[in-house]
Amino acid sequence: MELLNNSTTRLLQTALNSSMVRQQAISHNIANIDTPNYKAKNVVFENELQQAVANQRVKAYRTDSRHLEFGGHLNNMGTRVTERNNSQYNHNGNNVDIDLEMAELAKNQIYYNALIDRLNGRFNSIRTVLGQGR
Amino acid sequence: MSIFNGMNVSASALTAQRLRMDVVSANIANAETTRGKLVDGEWQPYQRKMVVMEPNQSSFASHLSKAMGSNEAINGVKVRAIIEDQTPFKLVYQPEHPDANEDGYIQLPNVDPLKEMIDLIGTTRSYEANVTALDAHKNMLLKALEIGR
Repeated sequence: MELLNNSTTRLLQTALNSSMVRQQAISHNIANIDTPNYKAKNVVFENELQQAVANQRVKAYRTDSRHLEFGGHLNNMGTRVTERNNSQYNHNGNNVDIDLEMAELAKNQIYYNALIDRLNGRFNSIRTVLGQGR
Repeated sequence: MSIFNGMNVSASALTAQRLRMDVVSANIANAETTRGKLVDGEWQPYQRKMVVMEPNQSSFASHLSKAMGSNEAINGVKVRAIIEDQTPFKLVYQPEHPDANEDGYIQLPNVDPLKEMIDLIGTTRSYEANVTALDAHKNMLLKALEIGR
């Protein structure tokens, strides 16, 4: 078990990254609220992450432990930006629902704060261990 | 893509909405202007102006990243053009006016104050929404600085 580079830290890191991407997508949607024919962008992450964790997808087959590992990482996996194409909210072809976006914004902020909290909890545990329980 | 990209996105929208607000103000200010521009020696009244917005995706980098199949670049919004409203001018009978035609009618701008007020409120609300998004992003970045505290 690695101290800092274990699966929990990596997962939290990936989740933080995707939360940031989602924040940008929400900002982009709100910025384009008055743009005709603009279709809202959506960030898909958690489902993909669960899938990735469940079957670990592709992993490099290493014949020597000194070989570099690739695949099976969760670093950049799981975050996809998709477009909501099948709806129309305004008469100008725009489908940004401002109430939905504001709710998503609030949700994403809380999610991000929770992730930071967990990461800090983890680091504090390590700090306790390093301080010999003091 | 830097960490401030999200803030740039919101900032671009703030710029665009502010320009839209300026255009609305210009429309209201010129609601009675009979000498907007000179066409063939005749004064034309002021024509109502509108902004056209589009997603900001014209950079080479955004097209490249799209072609490479990665996530579409997220760059905010920009004002594509300011266009003129082509609806006909209002005709008012006012023979003593210096810009009246032979029949005594003057042409007034095609500005509808009601439309402008609705646009004004819409702009304000959009501006507020973008300020909220910007604030949220700022708080996230500040929170990220707390990692390891």
